[in-house]
Amino acid sequence: MAKIIVDGQELDVPGEYTLLQACEAAGAQIPRFCYHERLSVAGNCRMCLVEVKGAPKEVASCSQAVKDQRPGPNGEPPEVFTNSPRVKKARQGVMEFLLINHPLDCPICDQGGECDLQDQAVVYGSAESRFCESKRAVEEKNMGPLIKTVMTRCIQCTRCVRFVTEVAGVPELGATGRGGDMEITTYLNKALSSELSGNVVDLCPVGALTSRPYAFNARPWELKKTESIDVMDALGSNIRIDTRGADVLRVEPRVNDDVNEEWLSDKGRHACDGLRRQRLDKPYARKEGKLVPVSWAEAIEIFAKQLSGKPEKVGFISGDLNEVEGLKASLDLAKSLGIKNLDCRQDGALLDDSAGRGGYLFNSTVNGIEEADVILIVGANPRYDAPVLNARIRKAYLAGKLQNIALIGEDFDLTYPHAHLGDDVKALEELAKGKGEFAKILSNAEKPMIIIGSSALTRADGDKVAKLAAEAGAKAKIVKDGWNGWNVLHTAASRVGAMDIGFLPKDGGLTTYQMLGSKLDTIVLLGADEVVVPEGTFVIYIGSHGDNGAHRADLVLPAPAYTEKNGTYVNLEGRVQLGRMAVAPKGDAKEEWAIMRAVSQVIGKPLPYDTLEELRAKLKSDVPALNVAEGEIAPAIDFDLRFVGNDGVADKYKFSNVIQDYFLTNPIARASQTLAKCSAERRGVGANKVAAE
Amino acid sequence: MKALIDALGPLWGSLAGIGLSLVYMVVVLLTVAFILWFDRKVWAAVQMRKGPNMVGPVGILQSFADFIKFVLKEIVVPSGANKTIFVIAPIITVVTSFLTWAVLPVAPGWVLSDMNVGILYILAVSSLGVYGIIMGGWASNSKYPFLGALRSAAQMVSYEVSIGFVIVCVLLVVGSLNLTDIVNHQKAGIWDWNAFAFIGALMHGGSPAKMGMAFVVGLILFAMSVVFFISALAETNRPPFDLPEAESELVAGYQVEYSATLYLLFMMGEYVNIVFMCAMISILFLGGWNLPWGEVTNPFLGFLVLYVKIWAMFFMFAMVKAIVPRYRYDQLMRIGWKIFLPTTLVCVAIVGAYVAFFGGNA
Amino acid sequence: MGIMQAIKGAAMTDFLGAFVLAMKVYFRRKPTVNYPFEKGPLSPRFRGEHALRRYPNGEERCIACKLCEAICPAQAITIEAEPRDDGSRRTTRYDIDMTKCIYCGFCQEACPVDAIVEGPNFEFATETREELFYDKDRLLSNGDRWEREIAKNIELDAPYR
Repeated sequence: MAKIIVDGQELDVPGEYTLLQACEAAGAQIPRFCYHERLSVAGNCRMCLVEVKGAPKEVASCSQAVKDQRPGPNGEPPEVFTNSPRVKKARQGVMEFLLINHPLDCPICDQGGECDLQDQAVVYGSAESRFCESKRAVEEKNMGPLIKTVMTRCIQCTRCVRFVTEVAGVPELGATGRGGDMEITTYLNKALSSELSGNVVDLCPVGALTSRPYAFNARPWELKKTESIDVMDALGSNIRIDTRGADVLRVEPRVNDDVNEEWLSDKGRHACDGLRRQRLDKPYARKEGKLVPVSWAEAIEIFAKQLSGKPEKVGFISGDLNEVEGLKASLDLAKSLGIKNLDCRQDGALLDDSAGRGGYLFNSTVNGIEEADVILIVGANPRYDAPVLNARIRKAYLAGKLQNIALIGEDFDLTYPHAHLGDDVKALEELAKGKGEFAKILSNAEKPMIIIGSSALTRADGDKVAKLAAEAGAKAKIVKDGWNGWNVLHTAASRVGAMDIGFLPKDGGLTTYQMLGSKLDTIVLLGADEVVVPEGTFVIYIGSHGDNGAHRADLVLPAPAYTEKNGTYVNLEGRVQLGRMAVAPKGDAKEEWAIMRAVSQVIGKPLPYDTLEELRAKLKSDVPALNVAEGEIAPAIDFDLRFVGNDGVADKYKFSNVIQDYFLTNPIARASQTLAKCSAERRGVGANKVAAE
Repeated sequence: MKALIDALGPLWGSLAGIGLSLVYMVVVLLTVAFILWFDRKVWAAVQMRKGPNMVGPVGILQSFADFIKFVLKEIVVPSGANKTIFVIAPIITVVTSFLTWAVLPVAPGWVLSDMNVGILYILAVSSLGVYGIIMGGWASNSKYPFLGALRSAAQMVSYEVSIGFVIVCVLLVVGSLNLTDIVNHQKAGIWDWNAFAFIGALMHGGSPAKMGMAFVVGLILFAMSVVFFISALAETNRPPFDLPEAESELVAGYQVEYSATLYLLFMMGEYVNIVFMCAMISILFLGGWNLPWGEVTNPFLGFLVLYVKIWAMFFMFAMVKAIVPRYRYDQLMRIGWKIFLPTTLVCVAIVGAYVAFFGGNA
Repeated sequence: MGIMQAIKGAAMTDFLGAFVLAMKVYFRRKPTVNYPFEKGPLSPRFRGEHALRRYPNGEERCIACKLCEAICPAQAITIEAEPRDDGSRRTTRYDIDMTKCIYCGFCQEACPVDAIVEGPNFEFATETREELFYDKDRLLSNGDRWEREIAKNIELDAPYR
């Protein structure tokens, strides 16, 4: 700790704090453009100038540490002034220089209204310009379909460069030229290849980088902001949904240091235009081979009739985006009818809750990644499965403690160096036996982590692979006091919640593949679009989008998408988070639990709740793991690595990543034109078209 | 005129009577039409406006345009109204206002019915006019009209009392209930006009006691003419006593629910009454058809003189409307009952004593 | 006091005074403007019917910055925007509900490009309410119709801004 006096107020701060942090700790506001607390210090905007007693010039507070300040002649702590006339004048000078080459096009700039430069020009800008030479103009750069560039507005803070290099780990942005000719550009003007590229739009303090899909759509003051949870991956990033009228116009990340810090994946950010297309707005039933609109009453009747058949010939498969409440209602309905064919793993993952809750959670937690020193990734591509989580691994790697990362499975550029131990089960088997160099590293590690992903679990021998990984883990003692290194990296936002409430084939029920293979009479798809139901089965699809499931379905019931309902989501760590309704459901769509409640009424076995609150109360009493405050994880109960997976002989074929096209993994994303463009860009199609725009 | 009708025999005489009545009505209505325009012009001038100026030269045909407009508009009868009474009410108003003209002599020898109790007839018939207003207000089945009707009933009843006493004064002095007699009593000149009889009292001479008394009575008659004018304002619901239709309080009083032709009838009745009151003042106090310097025997000239006097009186009506603010209801009642009634009562007593002691006509 | 007041009242001095005054006023020149045939002068700042202006080359001025929408105290303006084919920022919808508008002129004050202005026209009464829901076409045609007057007014007012 070091003493420092800020504006006459003496305080104790850690010596490694920068002056800016110290000033903020003292409650002073320091304007800044280039400084960002999650990025490295650049010190090039000079807006954060403060006056240090004894220093000949004002100093950039973001780039000087407290401990480096010289004490006073009699050993007094260094003294800093943040609002002296000299500081104000210095900042005004900086602002004038910044505005020299910044165009006065705020009215047509999408950043207008939420622009740092605009805000600070109000405080430090002068009413008139003394600059009468011609202004600088910079050509637009191509940064892909998500980022619109107006580089004339750029003030060269290099936040975007630092983010892409440090956090996203794809060093594709950089500056060319010097001084007035400095320009930020991507390598060869190509699109950014990061899944986190959208974050540079948030980072840009001016309007140089703006969101292309959102271009000119709205002004920040018109938007209604709703805090919710992202469902595009299992991380459960905290988001803010910005809506105007009935439309979701954009999705922005919310700061949650335990989950997503302040980043958001491109899919979570830009899938929102998919919410406007291909929506199911009224119930449809297949009549004479064609889906025709029917009334809700009729649809519920058909639904009830189909469910009333033999319980063993009826199955429920849940999708990836469901909230817990809807699944709970479905589960209760199925149970009341004696239906046991329930599965929440539409991808066919073979991991159940036999080892307790810890068996399917990301036990180390996302924050725990930063404590880990060794990570073994089995059958996962965190960069696609959960890009923000991957950035966290990269952050831990950059911090220095985490230097040993190994991958078993299809090799991929994970944005950090890693050892590739093999791409089939053999590598894992050897590890389980304690053979090889990495086995030694793993067992010597203080806080080792094993991350097993869906590429491993969805194999036909997924349970055996899981068993092998658990054995390897047990050997390396990854579960110890105060540390649980067993981590499952799910890809579906609904998965952990569904497994928590027990939406699994129990007591002889059929799994997804068994259901699909055994010619059931009726299959209810709760937003499950990735399954192929054989002919002859009556398919009831409940979901928001007209995707695969709805095309195959014989009865389609519209349900709201994640932005249109209040729901509980449990992220891969087991963290209970609440999504909130930002806009009204489209058309006649009804929430899943309400549909189930209506059906149960028609069948004559009404579910014991009439409101979402009652359902939540039931949920909490039935499932203790969910009976925690919002944003909390239920404390771990007994978990034994030995019960993970099943014994057996593993197949020899290679792991291959489940997510091949990051941008098109769920119905909402597939309906999104923006993400379709991203996908085309990534595949190399349509790159020219974007460049020509 | 009675001689003319008698000469034509019963059948033709009756027809001629009806014809004459029609002529009377047409003249009165035309007068009302132009007087309405005149009213608005005077009012506008005092407020430094131009007033109606679009229909005809200086807007003189404005009333006819308004008439056409009113007639062409839809008559709206409120759903809760008593339809029969609602329709009858304005008709009663307009009919009673015309009835009074029957006994009014407009020139020497020109009178429809030269009744010897003309004044009583006028008092009787004009009192009926209040029925139209009360019925209209009540039949509208609406709050403002009802309040307006109540006010108007109270107001008209109150001021009829003082009007009655004022007329009694004149009757005592003249000694006749016949309006022609009253005019003839004032034929000598302006000094004999009832309003200015105090001058005549000095000119006629006699014993100092009689002269003094006559002078006092003359002054009383002058005061009575002013009281009559003010009471006439109240009686015809003219400003500053237009409380039954005080727009700031009652929107339009008993006329709120009336539209188109029915409203026109109310309006017409009101203005016919006003013109009648102007004629009454002229006849009772201002010498009728006589010129200020002597008697007029030519009926045409007489009519012209009376007509000019009516317009002059109406000018006063219009000016009062333009310059005097509306009275409060309690003030209105106070003036009627506490000032005019005692004053006129005392005056009647004085004039009566004068007539009793000095006998005959003044 | 009471007696004096009574005498004053009986003598009607108030009325006579008012009468004399009224007669003085009676013959003064009337300031009435004979409206449909004569019109009073309009200030260059007069805030009448709205119009959307164009540049001399025919390009619409409005850049969909939405400042007018934001400032409008009656919330009479509705704007929707998206990139035009050439990439420039333009409105796809610019509606003014003239029945809501209070003619405060904030929109023209807020406009950075003098696109939305309140022109000198005040004779735009309509027979139906719907006709007062102005859309972009209507506003642009207003602008075309009144451009000369509007430009003149802006020029006249410019020295005072």
